[in-house]
Amino acid sequence: MLNLTSEERKVLIFLMGVALVGVGTSFAVKVFAPVKSIARLDDDFGKTDLNSADIDLLKSVPGIGEKLAQRIVDLRYERAGFSDLEQIKEIKGITSGKFNKMKNYLVVR
Amino acid sequence: MGYPLVWITAFFCAGIVFARCFAINFWLVLALAAIVLFLGAILIERKGTFPIILLAISALTGMLIFRNSQALPKCHISNFVYFKSNGFCAVFGTIDSQPEIKGDSATFVFNAKELHLRDSGYLCSGKILVHAKGAKDLYCIEKLILKGYLYPVPEPQQFRRDYLKEQGIYCIMRVDSGNMALAREADRGFSFTRFILSLKSKMLEIINKYMPPIPASVLEAMVLGEKKNIPRIIYDSMVKTGTVHILVVSGFNVGIVIFIVTLFLKLLRLPRRARFIVAIPCSIIYCLLTGASTPVVRATVMGIFFLAAYFIKREPDIYNSLSLAALFILSISPNQLFNIGFQLSFASVISIVYLYPKLKKAFRLDALKNRFLNFLAEGSAVSLSAWVGTSGFIAYYFRIISPVTILANLFIVPLATFITLCGICLIFAGLISPPLAPYFASTSELAVTLLVRLNLFLSSLPCAYYRLS
Repeated sequence: MLNLTSEERKVLIFLMGVALVGVGTSFAVKVFAPVKSIARLDDDFGKTDLNSADIDLLKSVPGIGEKLAQRIVDLRYERAGFSDLEQIKEIKGITSGKFNKMKNYLVVR
Repeated sequence: MGYPLVWITAFFCAGIVFARCFAINFWLVLALAAIVLFLGAILIERKGTFPIILLAISALTGMLIFRNSQALPKCHISNFVYFKSNGFCAVFGTIDSQPEIKGDSATFVFNAKELHLRDSGYLCSGKILVHAKGAKDLYCIEKLILKGYLYPVPEPQQFRRDYLKEQGIYCIMRVDSGNMALAREADRGFSFTRFILSLKSKMLEIINKYMPPIPASVLEAMVLGEKKNIPRIIYDSMVKTGTVHILVVSGFNVGIVIFIVTLFLKLLRLPRRARFIVAIPCSIIYCLLTGASTPVVRATVMGIFFLAAYFIKREPDIYNSLSLAALFILSISPNQLFNIGFQLSFASVISIVYLYPKLKKAFRLDALKNRFLNFLAEGSAVSLSAWVGTSGFIAYYFRIISPVTILANLFIVPLATFITLCGICLIFAGLISPPLAPYFASTSELAVTLLVRLNLFLSSLPCAYYRLS
């Protein structure tokens, strides 16, 4: 049926053996390899700093448009910088709901 | 001559189907396979018993490979994501596909390496589909750190969920502008993947530069496998006439590339061995350029098999090379066996290889002396063979039966061949000698327009196709 020579049979048995060991090892690694914990990334990674961001950078934050960005910069000059994130709630147009949406993207350094 | 690879592949496929239908215990099957393998090694010289043992191992290997492909490692990204309100997280990894930019947002597949979630960080693996806002200047294989919401594909989107799962994607991540950073600037250096992608971009640019959008979209699909710009009406009319296969890069394209490369090298008076050595990497590059879809991988493996047969001085066999191509694809991704592209590609080739010589003999096509009549008759025989092989799958998946396919293929396939040749010449001209490109572009445009109009006409014929309920 298969018409294999002796050499071909040996090669096939060898290849099948290698395939079985390979698939067994791959499965074992998937099933038994533990999850490795690593050092945690800085929480503030990727957040926009309210004390240094220019208007364009502020506009890249979801919920902040041209006018709101300008008001944030104006308040920053007025206060000589922010000391707390909550201070931007004083700005007209930033409601509690809006603040909650954007606070994940902002930081005061 | 026997077909050992055909039998091995058939049993391997049977193993995959069995493992999909029934829950199997991996370790039990592995132990059984080891015992059978041991028996095979002992009884290697027994001509009656050995083939049975070999086929049994093939089936068991199929089961094991399928089961292994379904298992996700503990550190897989999907094991960390349970529900939509998973919270904000950061992921470090590599862009795994060419980002698709639309407006100010980009979509790409991301290969995750590290996950930072709530109070902990983990080493992880797996792919994520990322929708990023404000991302324009991104490249494949770039290392990034993303921050955003990670969640599984929503339950109601079952079709999308299955499709993404087939691609190995279990999670989606939305990243807003400002929450993405390059992990290492130096990673924008040379890489083979980026070379392939930039070459493809350059080729698409050439097609779009010299041709109007609609003909360009058809040519992009036929030459580079880029189907996303084809207007729906053209695609639908090709489904109706059963000629949609011409919009897929197939073995024919690989054959043309190998032919052009070997012909060019022949003109340079290179010996045959050297021509074949150069043709093999060229066909692999073309395969990668077109996205390594199943028909192209099949054709590339078969092409390499045929070229390699010359080096080892063996007569290449179409059935064995086809089986080798199937084994190669299924060993890497056993789920492909249930993919329509895989099924149509192999069914059409098997059907043509098996039926065409029989039809040719039965209708005594060799006896036709008139060359035009001979061409028409042989074309019809190939078209009929392919239709017989694929119509069952098309009826099942697309709920359509198209008797017009046989007639359509008779005209469409030679025209598609001409368009593919013109398209490849256009790209070569655009790369090597741009002043020549407009000539090839005009010819291609004319041929594509003719193809589209002919196809629309054929689809409007009475009894051209029947929709199944």
